[in-house]
Amino acid sequence: MSNTTSNTGFEGFGAKAIFVRYGFLIIIAAFVAFFSFYTDSFLNGSNLLNIVEGSAILLILALGMTLIVTMGGIDLSVGIAMDFGAAFAIVAMKEYQVAWYFAVLIGIAGGGLVGLLNAFLVVKLKVSPFMATLGTFFIGSSVQRIFTNGGGPISYRRVAQEYRDLAVGDIAGIPTEVVIAFVVLVIYFLLLERSVFGKRMHAIGLQQSAALVSGIKVRHYLFFGFVFASATCAIGGIIGSANLRMFTPLAGYSYLLDAIAAVFIGASIHPQGRPNVPGTLIGVLFLGIVANGLNLLGLNFNTKDALSGIILVGALALAVMQKRLR
Amino acid sequence: MTLPVEHILEMQGISKAFPGVQALDKTDLFVRKGSIHGLVGENGAGKSTIIKVLAGIYTRDEGTVSINGAACDALAPAVVHEAGVRFIHQELHLVPYFTVAESVFMGQEQHGVLGLAGRRMRRRAEQFLKESLNCELDGKALIRTLSPAEKKLVQIARALIDDKARLVIFDEPTAPLASGETEQVFKAIRRLKERGISMIYVSHYLGEITDLCDEVTVFRNGATVAQLNRVDANSTQTIIHNMVGRDIDALYPEKKHSDGARMFSVSALGDNSRFFNVDLNISAGEVLGVAGLIGSGREEFIDTLYGLRRAEAGDMQFDGRELKLKSPADAVANGIVLVPRDRRNDGLVLNMSVGDNINLASLDEVAWARMEKRGLSLKRANELSEQIDIRPRNPKAITRFLSGGNQQKVVLARWLATQSKLFILDEPTVGVDIGAKVEIYQLIKELAANGAAVIVSSSDPQEMLGLCHRIMVMYRGEVVEDTPIDAIDFDSLLALSTSGARVASTA
Amino acid sequence: MSGTNSVSRPALFSAGALFSAAPLIIFIVLLIYLGISAPNLTDPATINLILKQSVPTVVVCLGLATVVVAGGDDVVSGGIDLSIPATAIICAGILADQLTNHGSPLWSAIALAAVAAVTMGVLNAVLVVAIGMTPLLATLASSVAAVGVTKVITSSRRINVDHPFVIYIRDANVAGVPSAVLIAAVFVLLFCFAVHRTRWGMQLQAVGGSRDAAEVSGIKTSSLVAQSFFIAALAGFLASFFVLARGSGSTPGSEENLLLEMVLATFLGAAFSPRRIVTVWGAVLGAVLVTALSVGFKSIGVNVFWTGCIKGTLILIVVASAAYSGRAQS
Repeated sequence: MSNTTSNTGFEGFGAKAIFVRYGFLIIIAAFVAFFSFYTDSFLNGSNLLNIVEGSAILLILALGMTLIVTMGGIDLSVGIAMDFGAAFAIVAMKEYQVAWYFAVLIGIAGGGLVGLLNAFLVVKLKVSPFMATLGTFFIGSSVQRIFTNGGGPISYRRVAQEYRDLAVGDIAGIPTEVVIAFVVLVIYFLLLERSVFGKRMHAIGLQQSAALVSGIKVRHYLFFGFVFASATCAIGGIIGSANLRMFTPLAGYSYLLDAIAAVFIGASIHPQGRPNVPGTLIGVLFLGIVANGLNLLGLNFNTKDALSGIILVGALALAVMQKRLR
Repeated sequence: MTLPVEHILEMQGISKAFPGVQALDKTDLFVRKGSIHGLVGENGAGKSTIIKVLAGIYTRDEGTVSINGAACDALAPAVVHEAGVRFIHQELHLVPYFTVAESVFMGQEQHGVLGLAGRRMRRRAEQFLKESLNCELDGKALIRTLSPAEKKLVQIARALIDDKARLVIFDEPTAPLASGETEQVFKAIRRLKERGISMIYVSHYLGEITDLCDEVTVFRNGATVAQLNRVDANSTQTIIHNMVGRDIDALYPEKKHSDGARMFSVSALGDNSRFFNVDLNISAGEVLGVAGLIGSGREEFIDTLYGLRRAEAGDMQFDGRELKLKSPADAVANGIVLVPRDRRNDGLVLNMSVGDNINLASLDEVAWARMEKRGLSLKRANELSEQIDIRPRNPKAITRFLSGGNQQKVVLARWLATQSKLFILDEPTVGVDIGAKVEIYQLIKELAANGAAVIVSSSDPQEMLGLCHRIMVMYRGEVVEDTPIDAIDFDSLLALSTSGARVASTA
Repeated sequence: MSGTNSVSRPALFSAGALFSAAPLIIFIVLLIYLGISAPNLTDPATINLILKQSVPTVVVCLGLATVVVAGGDDVVSGGIDLSIPATAIICAGILADQLTNHGSPLWSAIALAAVAAVTMGVLNAVLVVAIGMTPLLATLASSVAAVGVTKVITSSRRINVDHPFVIYIRDANVAGVPSAVLIAAVFVLLFCFAVHRTRWGMQLQAVGGSRDAAEVSGIKTSSLVAQSFFIAALAGFLASFFVLARGSGSTPGSEENLLLEMVLATFLGAAFSPRRIVTVWGAVLGAVLVTALSVGFKSIGVNVFWTGCIKGTLILIVVASAAYSGRAQS
C-alpha cells in the first residue's frame, strides 16, 4: 500500500531509506575499502586504469544488453555476436587480405547477422526473446565449432598495426579500447536516455500494447534493437581479437552472465528500477573492481571463479531486494 | 405483531479512510437472511471498499460487523471463510487447461488411498453443478472449451462445493457475458436462493438488480443513501436518483447540430469471423455512437478501424483518399486516434510519468535532432494538464497512481497534442468517477465543435443517447440499425442491442 | 474415455493443431529417417544404449518439469530452473572428489553431495520466493556460482571414479535391462505420481496455471513454488550418480550440454501432452527422443559439431510452433 501514496518512494532518512537509495553504492564502497586495505596496489593510479581497461569489453556488451532489456527482452546470444564479430574480422583479413577498417565493418556486420536472426525469431515468429536467443546461442556455438573444426582458435599474427592498436594502442595516453568504450557509452546514453528513440524503447519495454496503441512502430523498433545490440557486441569481439591477434571460438560466453548482472545491478540503482546506461556503467565497474581485487589478493584461478560467482549471486540478490523495497 | 428482521449480515457505521480519501463514512449494510441483496453505486462510491472490509482485506476504522448474529471484531480472510462467507470475484480465476472437476476442487482436492480421487471429484462436481446451479457439464471438459457463462458457474461451484456457504457475494458476475448468457447465471443464483443461501449482488446493470434482488442498498460517496426493502421494475428511477444525486440529463452537454463535410467512410468492412459487411459514415463535427453487446463484433470492428486487427473485406475512405491500415502507427499518421477500452493495459504506460504518456504520440514535436527537449516537453504536458484539468498537476507523477478519471484524461491529452481529426473512443467512461465523466463528455462536445469527428463505442445506452448525433447498433456481427438520435429511444436501443430488432420479443 | 463428452473438442486438423504438432511430426520424420539409414537403431542393444544414455537428462528433466509445472511455462516470468545441471555437476564433483581423492566411504560422500544439493535448492527458493528475483536470473546466477565452486572442488580436472556403486550403475543389468534405466524408471514413476496424481501435485499445477486462481482457492502458492525449486535440486542430486556413471567420473564443463538437452526435452514434451502443457512424462519422453536423435546422428556419421546446431534449430521450431498455436487459439 505504501507505494500508492508516494510517487517517488524514497522520501525520509531512515536506515531503510538510505539502503533503498544508496544500498548498492555502499556495497561498492565497502569492496573498494576492503581491497585497498588488504592489497597494496589496489588504489594505485595504474591499477585503477587497469580496472577501467579491463572493463571496456564488458561495458560494450552490457550496453547492448541494456538496450535489449530496456525493450523488455533478454539476449543470451551477446557472446555469440561478439564471437562472430571477431571471427568475421579476423577471417576477412587473413583469408581475403581486407584492409583493417573494412575488416572492422565486416566484423560489425557479422555480429549484426546474429541480431538479425534474433530479430526474425522474436518479431516475425513471435518466439520469446529468452528462447529465441537461447536457440541462437546454441546454433551460433555449433556453427563456430563446425567452422573451426572443434573449437581451435584462428590466429593471424600479421594483422595491421592499426587493427592491433584498437586493443593495445592509446589515444593521448588513454588506451584506445577505453576511448572506444567511452564513445559507445556516450552514443548509448544519448540514444536511450535522451532521444525520442529511447523514450519509445522504454515505452515498448514497459507496456508493449500501450506503446502499440499510441502509434509506435513496435515491430520496427524491436527489429532494429536486436540488430543494433548485436552489432554493438561485435565491437567488443573485434577489440578482443585485436588484443590476441586471433579469433577464439566461444570466448564470448564468459561475458554473458556478467553483462546480465551489470544491467540488473544498474536497474536497481534507478528510481523506478529501470535498466539505464549510467547504472549499467556502475554495474560493470563493480564487477571490474571485484575481479581485479580478487586477482590482487593472489587467489588461485579456481577459487577466484567460485568467489566471483558467489559475489555475483549476492550482488544480484541485493540489487533486486533494493528494487523491491521501494 | 412484528418479529425482528433476521439478518445474516449487519454492518453498521463502517468508516474507512485512505490518505486523502474518506472511502467509507459511517456506512450501513444489512442483508436479510435468505434474500438477494443488491448493492449499487457509482464507481468510487465505496462498494468495493466495504466488500474488502468484509473480506478482511481492509481493516475498518470504526463500526460493527456481525455475521449470522455473531459479532466479529477482527475480520480476517480465514475467519470470514469459516463463517460461511464466499466471494465470487469479477475475474474468473480459472486455468484454461484444467478440467471442470479439477477447477471446482482447486485447493480442496479429495484424496484416496492411491492418490487423487479423480472419479469421485468428477461425479461430485457434475452433481453439484446440476443440482445447485442448474447446469449440466462434463467434469472432464477443459475450461477453455466452455462458454463464458459456464466458466462463471464453475467459478461459483468452486466457492460453494464444500456446502458451508451461507452468504455469497457476487461482484459484477455478468460483466463478461452477453445478454443471452446472463439468464443461465440468474437461474443458478435463483436456485441458490431456493436452497436458503443469502447473497449480495453488486452490479452496474440496474435491470439485473430490479430483476433479481429482493432488497437494495445504494451507496454514494462512501455513505448509504438509500435502503429499499422491496424492489420492482419501478425502482430504477429511485435507484438512479439516489446513485447520482442529481438529474441524469444534466450529465450531458447540450448537443450542437453538425453539418460538416464527409470525413471518414467504411463500406462492406469485415474480418470474416467476428463482423461482416459493416458500413459507416461520419462527417466533421459529428459524434457517432456504435452500440452493441460484448460479442456483437463491436470491439473487433473498432479495433479494425484503428489497424489493430486486419480487415479481410471492404474498404475505408478518409478525407476522400483510400485508407489502408497495417498498424496503429498508420492510423495515427493519418490523424485517426483511439482511446482504448482497456485503459490500464493498452491506453497508458502505467509506470511512465504523466508527461511522458502525454507526449508519447508526438515526441517528434518536442525534439530537436531526435533528442527530446525536456523543458519543452514538460511545458507542453503542463499546458495540456491545465487545459483538461488533470490532477495532480504534475507531469512527473507516475501515471499508475492517478485515479481512473485522471488516467483517462491523460490518454485524451496525448491525442489532443497530436491535432488529430478522427477520435475513436472505446468505452471512454468505464471506471471513471462522475465528475470526470461530465468533463469527458464536455471534451467530446468541444472536439466535435472544433471540427473533429468522434466515434463513441459504449455499452451504456444512456451515455450513447446523451452524447451522440447518430447511433449505429451492431448485433451478431452486423449493423442492424443506423439512425439519427431523435429517431431512437432508450427502449428501442436496448432492444436492438439485445435482440437485433426494435421490438423485443417478450418472453 | 467414456463417450459422454458433450463439449466439442477442438478440430483435429485445424491450422493451430497442425502447427502445434509440427515439432512432433518433425521428430517422427527424423526418427524414421534415422531408422532407415541406420538399421541397427532399433536393435535391443541400441535401444538399451539410448535409454542408458538418456538417463541423466531424464532425471534432470524431472526437476525442470516440476518447476515449470509450478511456475507456468512462460520462461521469463514463469518457472524455470537453469541450475539443475549445475547442481548435478557439483554433486558429481563432490562424489568423485570424496570417493577417489579422499577415499571416503560412500555414505559420507553422498551426505556431502546432498548438503550441496540442499544448499542449491534453498538458495534458489530464497532468491525467487523471498527476494523476488525472476527464476531465470536467479537460477542462472546460482548455476554460475555452483560451477565456480565445482572448479574449486575438482581443481578443474577430470576425476575418474571406480567405486563399485558407480560401476554397478554403469554396467549392471537386471533381466537384460541396465540397472541405471531401472533406477531412473522408479524416479520417473515417483515424480509422475507426485506431480500428476496427488493433491500436492494438483495444487502445484494450479499455481503454475494461474497464481491468482490458486491464491483465491486458498493454496499456499509461495510455499509450493519454493518446494518446486527444492525438488528440482533433489533431481539434480539424483542425476549426479548417473552423470558419474555415464562418464566414469566427473568432467568439468559437462553441465552445458546437459542444460541444452534438459530445456529442449522439457519444452518438447509439451508437444506430446494433449493439453499442450509441460508434464513430467512428456519431459521424460522428450529426453529419450532427444538422446535417440543424438545416438542416431552419430551412428550415421554426422559430424558431432553439428548436433548443437540441429538441437538449437529444434528448440526454435518447438517454441515457434507453440507461439503460433497460442496465437491461433486466442
